[in-house]
Amino acid sequence: MEKYGSLIGLIDGMASDFLFIDGREIDMLTAGKFLNNLEELIKETDSLKVFPLKNVAVGLNSLLEKIVLDDIDDKESGFNVLEKGIALMQEIGESFTNTGSYEGDIESFMESIEVLTGEQASEEVKEASTEEPQPVETIDEMQDDSLLRDFIFEGLEYIDEIEVNLLNLEKEPEDLDCVNTIFRPFHSIKGVAAFLNLETIRDFAHSLENLLDRVRSKELSVSSELIDIILDGADALKALIIELKDELEGNPGQPLKIDMADLKRRIENVEQDDTDTTKVKKLGTILVEDGAISEDTLEKGLESARQLKPPKKIGEALISDGKVTPKQVSQALRKQTGQAADTAVIRVNIKKLDDLIDMVGELVITQSMIRQNSFILSNPDRRLNKDIARLSSITSELQETSTRLRMVPIKQTFQRMSRLVRDLSRDAGKMVGVVTEGEDTEIDKNMVEEISNPLVHMIRNAVDHGIDSSKVRIKAGKPEKGLVKLKAFHRGGNIVIEISDDGKGLDRDGILNKAIEKKLIDSSQDLSDQDIYKLIFHPGFSTASKVTNISGRGVGMDVVKQAVEKLRGKIEIDSVISKGSTFALSFPLTMAIIGGMIVRVGKERYIIPTTAIRQLLRPVKESYTIIIGKGETITVMGNILPLIRLYKAFGIEADYKNPWEGIVVVVEGENKSKCLLVDEILGEEEVVIKSLGESMKSSKGVSGGAILGDGKVGLILDPEGLFELSEM
Amino acid sequence: MGIDKEMKILLVDDFATMRKVIKNLLKQGGYNSIVEAEDGVAALKVLKSEKVDFIISDWNMPNMTGLELLKAVRADSDLSGLPFLMVTAEGLKENVVVAVKAGVSNYIVKPFTAEVLNEKIEKIIG
Repeated sequence: MEKYGSLIGLIDGMASDFLFIDGREIDMLTAGKFLNNLEELIKETDSLKVFPLKNVAVGLNSLLEKIVLDDIDDKESGFNVLEKGIALMQEIGESFTNTGSYEGDIESFMESIEVLTGEQASEEVKEASTEEPQPVETIDEMQDDSLLRDFIFEGLEYIDEIEVNLLNLEKEPEDLDCVNTIFRPFHSIKGVAAFLNLETIRDFAHSLENLLDRVRSKELSVSSELIDIILDGADALKALIIELKDELEGNPGQPLKIDMADLKRRIENVEQDDTDTTKVKKLGTILVEDGAISEDTLEKGLESARQLKPPKKIGEALISDGKVTPKQVSQALRKQTGQAADTAVIRVNIKKLDDLIDMVGELVITQSMIRQNSFILSNPDRRLNKDIARLSSITSELQETSTRLRMVPIKQTFQRMSRLVRDLSRDAGKMVGVVTEGEDTEIDKNMVEEISNPLVHMIRNAVDHGIDSSKVRIKAGKPEKGLVKLKAFHRGGNIVIEISDDGKGLDRDGILNKAIEKKLIDSSQDLSDQDIYKLIFHPGFSTASKVTNISGRGVGMDVVKQAVEKLRGKIEIDSVISKGSTFALSFPLTMAIIGGMIVRVGKERYIIPTTAIRQLLRPVKESYTIIIGKGETITVMGNILPLIRLYKAFGIEADYKNPWEGIVVVVEGENKSKCLLVDEILGEEEVVIKSLGESMKSSKGVSGGAILGDGKVGLILDPEGLFELSEM
Repeated sequence: MGIDKEMKILLVDDFATMRKVIKNLLKQGGYNSIVEAEDGVAALKVLKSEKVDFIISDWNMPNMTGLELLKAVRADSDLSGLPFLMVTAEGLKENVVVAVKAGVSNYIVKPFTAEVLNEKIEKIIG
């Protein structure tokens, strides 16, 4: 029959190839060819339903795989069975071509394959034995120092690469290429270490490689814990290689400080944790644990459930045997699914999350528009009012929950920074320790990356400029080792990140002189310490007297300031000469929603971020004065604060020109407070920030727009921008 | 055995130290004509520009893996007959079947001695 033509072709091809094999052992190339032929054969026999042929082909396929993997001890009979198998396939093929069926017996042949391949137990023993380190005799003669030196050099380079790639992996946990770039160096180090008989390094690289292999095969997911462990592992590996280097250079200095046993345990724990949590307890086990049945009953129940036709589930079987009540089973089932739910974590594309949070933002606004609709407000229907109230409480809860979805602990960022301190101090030849506090403080995931650059820069500054060398420190009566402290906490609607060092502090006069020299300020200006410190954020300002590898790359603190302001954050500096400096960055918790005070000026509405507001008042006439050099001021609780007339700043018409007729809002920004004159306070509202688009980006004093509860648009004021505007 | 010890061997591995290790082992076996490449892409460049008699390649490399290199070699009518020895690690033994199907001449599991390497080479071209 024609339809078996291609099958016959495949088999005949194999048969003729077989004739050309030299000796009684199959070579790799022919084996590869056969495996491909068999794969095709299995596919075709399956679709043509030529099952006897398929079975033989499947058997031969597994036999060949074992031969190729060198897993068959009796090579001679392996080869014979292969020969027999090909002949048998020819026979079956012929029979199908002629009669459309095959009446012969393939059982005995299949058995002979099983005898060869089915020795599971002995095979495993063999696997394990090949894992054992095999002493390689020839190594000693070739283990010249140059090879070791190469290994040390290249190995260290590779580990550095791992660290960089780990950071990428943290950003893209799903990126398998990224996992591979981390896997590969461990793999290579292990490979060479095995050749060089460096057992500790080999074993350790091997366990890390294994861990990553499980990430590659999706058995483990990328978590911050995993990243930490790999980082620590990379460190330990580095230390081991450096130890080797020291030995080679003849100065076996310090013994290893890393607790290898502990690290190995952690690596293993990742593995165990994972298997523990993914495994859901069996229903039977839960029933036994609940005391509903005995171990013995369970065994018997399982046995009888299996024998039933069709087989029943254990729960059903036990119920029909009257061993348990349906209620007990349903309780156990609930426990089982509860377990599964506990461990269920899903990964969601951040874009989807962003969209969700955006939509929730819109929902909040629409909800608030409905609530403020005059028809609703004047509607006496109590039921309607109750429902509306409920709607708004649900929406605000929804908003809170959805915002929280995007929050992650700042831990990872801090760890990266700690690592940075370590590396930087090493490069700078200084001794610097790191302390972190508040690692569990949560931050919007979208901000993590944005704050990373400013943080890196400030830490560089702290290590490079802030902290002196050990010598200088000892002279100054400080501990030899410098300290950088990273602290995070929530304050109001803000997350605050503090970077402190116990270095020499900011040089107030140095900064001042330099600023005057650079004509950033004029010498007659009377500036507070805070104002002087702020000068370092001025573009182009840098006090670094020499350019080092670490800082002084031409990127100044102005970049930090810009990055922070982009996130609507601010920087405060606190510094005591010879004691140290603290830079406090504070950012709104989320980038999407702010609480704002709605104010009216003439026909316009503005939103002032609640976090910036210190006070609202209607000043008395006497508190208004004009001070030469400062302009209009209002005295608020003893402080003389500059007045900004919003209508003037934006060039619009206002109802009131006199501060004592309108309302004054005291806002704080950049370490100073000023008064904003408005007509009226309309209320407080949560608003979703809308970007004004590229063309409006440079407009000072306004950071965005928002749709208000009544559907009208309001501009969100940026106090610091306003201050700058008023000082121009 | 009629093995030409002067044959030119292309050694592909991204880890320079590993190349040095294998080179040393090859030299112990009397093979002195060795060219190196740091990954599959570089290897293909070498293969385009000079005549090579034998390829020894690592499996796991950036840019182009050993398997991809093998497939590219087998797909190129000028190179398809070249002996190709794949170097793998024990953990990746299951990959061997894939390589064999792609037409690898043989494979060798790290770490290995000069003798084992010699044996494998002889098995392929002997």
